[in-house]
Amino acid sequence: MGDLGDKKGIGNLDSPKMPYDYSKREYGTVPLDTKRAPFQWVSEVAYKNVHRIVARGYDTTELMEEGYGITDVLFVDFQSRIPLVEEEQMLNYVMILSFEDGLSMPVLMSRMVAQSKTFLTQACGASILAFGHAFGAYSAFGNRLEEFLNHAEQEGKSTAEMAKLLVQDNLNDESLGVSSLMLKDPAAKRMIAHAEKLGVAGKNIAFMKEVVAAAQQASSEPVDIDMLGATGAVMMDLGFSPEATWAILAVTRSFAAGAHYIEEVERDIAENGYTRLGQALTPKDIYDGPDDRPVPSLEERDKNAQPAQIHTPDQWNQAFQERQKIFGTGYRIHEEIEDPSKKTGVKSVGKKLD
Amino acid sequence: MNRDPLFRRKTSISYKTEEKTVLRGYNLSDLAEKGYSFCDAMFVLFQNRIPTAAEEKMLKYEMGVFLEHSMSPSAAGAIGVITGRPNLPCAIAASIMTFGGVHGPGAAHGYMLNKYLDRAHKEGKSLDEMAKILVDEYLDNKTPVMGMGQPQHIDSDPRAEPIHVKQEELGVQGVYLEFQRAVEKHFHARRKAEGRSYVGVNVVGSGNTALCDIGFAPNAAWCIGSVCRGFSCAAHAIYNMKRGRAWGASRNEPMVQMIDLSMIKYIGPEDRRVPKQSERQEYAKNQKEQGEYKQWVI
Repeated sequence: MGDLGDKKGIGNLDSPKMPYDYSKREYGTVPLDTKRAPFQWVSEVAYKNVHRIVARGYDTTELMEEGYGITDVLFVDFQSRIPLVEEEQMLNYVMILSFEDGLSMPVLMSRMVAQSKTFLTQACGASILAFGHAFGAYSAFGNRLEEFLNHAEQEGKSTAEMAKLLVQDNLNDESLGVSSLMLKDPAAKRMIAHAEKLGVAGKNIAFMKEVVAAAQQASSEPVDIDMLGATGAVMMDLGFSPEATWAILAVTRSFAAGAHYIEEVERDIAENGYTRLGQALTPKDIYDGPDDRPVPSLEERDKNAQPAQIHTPDQWNQAFQERQKIFGTGYRIHEEIEDPSKKTGVKSVGKKLD
Repeated sequence: MNRDPLFRRKTSISYKTEEKTVLRGYNLSDLAEKGYSFCDAMFVLFQNRIPTAAEEKMLKYEMGVFLEHSMSPSAAGAIGVITGRPNLPCAIAASIMTFGGVHGPGAAHGYMLNKYLDRAHKEGKSLDEMAKILVDEYLDNKTPVMGMGQPQHIDSDPRAEPIHVKQEELGVQGVYLEFQRAVEKHFHARRKAEGRSYVGVNVVGSGNTALCDIGFAPNAAWCIGSVCRGFSCAAHAIYNMKRGRAWGASRNEPMVQMIDLSMIKYIGPEDRRVPKQSERQEYAKNQKEQGEYKQWVI
């Protein structure tokens, strides 16, 4: 370490308000910790060596050689088991129905990304980002279904009672799985019927039927099970967790998003060209912000600038309400931002070497 | 050339004609021409106002100090993505997306402060009283107090205290800093009383407090912090793209690479024979009945 000289006098770092002497803090990188196990990528899903790729104990090449396929490997990866033939058939059914949805958001995102002249993979990746807690809300849907089913078991309540409670709290939620979206399209109900026919319908589908009945009773307009509700319940009866369902179906949809990317490039972009920076206009007729106004000179800043600082809870409350009046500031939004890993916890692996 | 909008939306943030781009009523070009800074424009974007000079300086400081943090989840994410050599924006997008409930949870911190300030207002309590309530409620519930502690900077985050002091020096301290300081005071006192080690304020606790005091809402502050970090993560990604090994698994490198085969630790089911299709149904039935697989379901 070279002599760095007198480190005093840097900004506020010598301030008596500082709880330590900043100038005395050491430089240099931290040496390797030789008392703990060296870095490894920890996984209980799969490993590979020079000669094999092994998922949950099964050599994946051997799996394919024995006639298993992609849907079987999804069971192996996410559930560590070989599925029954009927389960594998049902997953295929679900994935086909989840494959294409017309010009819905994942595809719009894919096509918009394509407009920027990107790789296909970038557009496919972007399409996956469309899956949230409203569109393709398999995580929100499934976790709620699990939560209420668990309550039913723990509290000794009937599923019909729990379904009513679930609907009471979530009738208008985008992730309920019951809506007016599929009143004329029988696909969702046919999926449920298929699961029953194959003998893979279980407690989730049964509970979902109770939820549908409760929603139909509570709603002022006709509603029925939609694709989210049917697909989510079937996947959970196949043993997939809400998160696994979310991931599998988002990626399934992404295949089709790739096709839309290709068509966008082959048709629209071939005819009109890519979209350039600054090309798209935002007409003033859809703008309702402040009227056009002159930018004050920097010399006039103090005359025009209003400081934001407030000093009491009452002032804070008043300012908060004022700020909520301006769209785009963020003051109207309050949301929970949680650490999702708390649901599963983290397994400690490795050991100290000393 | 077609210049129609891609989507029609009502917006109060901006409009764009063939003549100009207008942000909250200000011609963007005029803002730049008259010497305002990028940080000034940030206030116009999120708050619809020109900031005071001191507020502009505070934002400039906060963004500058937050921009680079070497190996955090955001940089690690960018590096991990770029080893596959996609287009650079994929790695940058990934890095910004690492910001969540634990890494740089600026919005969560802001929501926490606002929630308890609201309670102070409604319950007629002082900031100091409410800060103690906040600390007690969080610690009683074994919930981390947002803005306190950092896994790498265990002896106080090098950015945190200086931000507090800078805020005071610039005279932009308000109700948020007073409240945050009170939270820290009660947090330290309680940990000390319980015989626990010192845990300092982190850059979210201090930086986000400053952003709140200069008028940014929780999500706006979070946007500023996390997107700002995207700059440095882009640098980490570009460095690795130009000077590092693609894939991160080369055996010719003098140092073991990130995804060298020896880096994989497998803790799942033991190696096992793949059943024949002829025995599959019986095998699968037994497997399902025995239920051993359930411990591995994720």
